[in-house]
Amino acid sequence: MDETIAEFIKRTILKIPMTEMTTILKAWDFLSENQLQTVNFRQRKESVVQHLVELCEENNASLNDAALLDIIYTQLHRHRKIWDVFQMSKGPGEDVDLFDMKQFKSSFKKVLQRALKNVTVSFRDAEENAVWIRIAWGTQYTKPNQYRPTYVVYYSQTPYAFTSLSTLKSNIPLLGQALTIASKHHEIVKMDLRSRYLDSLKAIVFKQYNQNFETHNSTTPLQERSLGLHVNMDSRIIHENAMEKERVQRVTQETFGDHPQPQLEFAQYKLETKFRNGSILAEREEPLRCLIKFSSPHLLEALKSLAPAGIADAPLSPLLTCIPNKKMNYFKIRDK
Amino acid sequence: MEQANTLCHDGKSKGGVLAYLERLETGVNRSGKQREELQSAQAVGNALATKIRKLRCLRDKLRAEVKQRQARVKASTTSVDPDQTVEISEQEVLERKQKNVKAILQAYRFTGLSGKLTSRGVCVCINTAFEGNLLDSYFVDLVIKKPLQIYHHSVPVFIPLEDIAAKYLQTDIQHFLFSLCEYLNAYSGRKYQADQLQSDFAAFLAGPLQRNSLCNLLSFTYKVDPRGQAFPFCARLLYKDLTVTLPTDVTVTYQGTEVLSTSWEEQRAAHEILFCTKPLHQVFASFAKKGETLDMSLFS
Repeated sequence: MDETIAEFIKRTILKIPMTEMTTILKAWDFLSENQLQTVNFRQRKESVVQHLVELCEENNASLNDAALLDIIYTQLHRHRKIWDVFQMSKGPGEDVDLFDMKQFKSSFKKVLQRALKNVTVSFRDAEENAVWIRIAWGTQYTKPNQYRPTYVVYYSQTPYAFTSLSTLKSNIPLLGQALTIASKHHEIVKMDLRSRYLDSLKAIVFKQYNQNFETHNSTTPLQERSLGLHVNMDSRIIHENAMEKERVQRVTQETFGDHPQPQLEFAQYKLETKFRNGSILAEREEPLRCLIKFSSPHLLEALKSLAPAGIADAPLSPLLTCIPNKKMNYFKIRDK
Repeated sequence: MEQANTLCHDGKSKGGVLAYLERLETGVNRSGKQREELQSAQAVGNALATKIRKLRCLRDKLRAEVKQRQARVKASTTSVDPDQTVEISEQEVLERKQKNVKAILQAYRFTGLSGKLTSRGVCVCINTAFEGNLLDSYFVDLVIKKPLQIYHHSVPVFIPLEDIAAKYLQTDIQHFLFSLCEYLNAYSGRKYQADQLQSDFAAFLAGPLQRNSLCNLLSFTYKVDPRGQAFPFCARLLYKDLTVTLPTDVTVTYQGTEVLSTSWEEQRAAHEILFCTKPLHQVFASFAKKGETLDMSLFS
């Protein structure tokens, strides 16, 4: 086994927390049950890692095996990366997409390998007919850098690909080309949508975040939902602004729905507008440029609670409420 | 000293200022005690009064209920009182009718296409089925406006909903719904067949079943006899039409270097036709049956 591969495996295993070690190693399925039983997982982490690397040496681990371990680790720690979304489109009147996973993988690899001699491409199938792709980029003269790989998650027969880039900008068009050719699309465009939470991005882009539908079979009819207002039933106490509170609740519920919001950490607005006030600034020829960024551990839930908490007026600005609908959290606002 | 003496009314010296103050104090305490006693007596009186009021209220309620029940008993035993009986049975009849209608509305989903009016428009529910098995349901929430809009839906992203909507939603909503039903039922049916193959007939497969989101390309290697007597065949099923549940193209090949004997070649060709004409899991069920009859013939 190559020294670089050994080092790569060692560093990957070191990243894994001890609580997840056995789960990940089992999912990797590279070391046998017997081999794993010889390892004493109660030692210090360095000794465990040392032993595991020796076992990988015994099994003659290849670069692909090491890359697979890296994919499994990243799948479990997907929130450590920031994910972008790309949208592909087909030409009009295309034939039915007969997606063949084997063909997709070989085509994808070929496009990259033809352009860049030094590139490592690895695949791992995932649930819902999706595939995780790991790409380690090199150049004409240097070997691929295994420590800054790009990940792509692609659900077959959909126009969207989720990527965590972490690479030179120059590699991005090549990645786009590989994706479009392999998935038989024509064009690819980067969406203005970015987050750490891959599952939320998927929910937004596939429109899966609102699963509440009215049917005759639902046991809890929607009208009887408690709006959380009428807590104090004593008729001698009157809430002065009960009507306003109810209105705010109604408007919030209409805008955001009853369902849990997908999780995003920020929304960014780039403004390039002229000042509209009647002051000196309005006379400027050049538009004012400013950047407004909203951050939160759970941005959409936070926005949803603004009006009921009394911090903002309801309805909120459509620039804030359109985020899941428009599938974007990066906005550029210019004068018309 | 003089002042203390002038304060005594009856001329007798009662002990001076301090003694006078003492007398005043005891007087105040006495009247305080009297006041307290009066207050507590009053409080007790008030409490008893409220209790009396409550009990009277309860008594009136119970009296009224007793009267009601007596009246009801009279009404049910004597069929002479027509007004009351008519009222009760009317209500019962209405309730029964309402239950009936609700049950019918709930049962509508078995027709495959049902809906419920919403504040915005209508929420259409498409219940898919294949060979009598009820499968997944999908919803399309429509807003009745000009132009007709889809508010939100649960149709998977790989079903061409936008294309179907672009063609029919504004002009012919019936066509839109039936077309969408076709696509979803076909997708559900294909998915069902692939799932059945993976779960019930895994023993026949020599490797994993290769599939995609639409389940319109299936590729697998199988043996007619799972116990290893047969040759492994590779099957590739293509469903070029997304509204069908049987493949449009089937190729069965033999992965090997030797030339197939005629009997195996016949089997290969026969399998191609089988996959084209029967649902996937039924083909494998027939393989399983053949295997059983072979076993039986060994024992006979």
